[in-house]
Amino acid sequence: MTEQVRLEDFILTKKQKEFERDFFKGSEHYQRWEDVEFGRVWENDRRFTVEAEDILAYSAGVGDENPLFSDAEAAKSGPFGGLIAHPIFFTPIVFWLAGDEGPLSWLRTPGAINPGGVYEMFEPIRPGDTLRSRAHVKDKWIKRGKRYLTYEVDFLNQDDTLVVRLQATLILPTSKNDGTHQF
Amino acid sequence: MSTITFESVQLNSHLPQLVRRIDQEFITRDAVASLDFNPIHVDPVWAKKVNLLGAGTTIAHGLCTVSFLASTVTDWCYASGGFITRIESKFVAPVRPGDTVTCSGEVMELHPRDDGKSFVVIELLAKNDREQTVAWAKAFVRLPSQR
Repeated sequence: MTEQVRLEDFILTKKQKEFERDFFKGSEHYQRWEDVEFGRVWENDRRFTVEAEDILAYSAGVGDENPLFSDAEAAKSGPFGGLIAHPIFFTPIVFWLAGDEGPLSWLRTPGAINPGGVYEMFEPIRPGDTLRSRAHVKDKWIKRGKRYLTYEVDFLNQDDTLVVRLQATLILPTSKNDGTHQF
Repeated sequence: MSTITFESVQLNSHLPQLVRRIDQEFITRDAVASLDFNPIHVDPVWAKKVNLLGAGTTIAHGLCTVSFLASTVTDWCYASGGFITRIESKFVAPVRPGDTVTCSGEVMELHPRDDGKSFVVIELLAKNDREQTVAWAKAFVRLPSQR
């Protein structure tokens, strides 16, 4: 039996309320594997201003109760002097900053699979930080009939300091109507 | 909990294990937390229809498993002022609703530095309750020094 679990029951933050949760909607505008451009560094106007509620909601979502990520008051007496984000907090940031067209919109492709990646953290992310992204494509290839895309995303804060760098890979479904592996 | 410093860490020592039970509620909650609403995670009907990785179920987010592996490290050393500077991860099998994921870690390398940036490399493994490896990762972790 299908478990009846409603997304709406887990919405906690302003960003979660605003975010377009239907990944099929507008998917015809997502950048496709075959249209990916090399050699271009891509930025957009989107910004992620980190609120304490974003940090708390992320740690709750992954089941982490470490007070450094989940209790602003207790975190004050910790080694970071206040609340910091869980190391994998870049996930909601990259989806928020990606948008629904152009480079990075491939993240929203229904059926995209993440086979792994390399994630570098240079500074802890704290409430009040405002982050933007800078991305470029590193490689795309076909292996065993699957289409892979590797790209790098830098997150810079309000001081233009690099805080996180992702080297991420996705296996993307074929999007042209060639009769194979299409959703 | 005792304070972790670079000097206190023994090569091949093990981190305390971390266990997470996964069901559709957990996956959907993580989807909201991650803003990753890919239907392969949150839509059991669609997941059954496309049967992307066999078994016809939703799958947990790969980065959710990485978050467990990272939490294994942060539970161990963040209260002492440790900091993960790099994670290399690979997912080898999907995590599905009903799975229990157990994460373990072993200190494989010690990198002493004179500039206060000594670090260790930890190999992390996530297994399901059928003893199948679902993900592995290498975490580079900066630790405070006694010197």
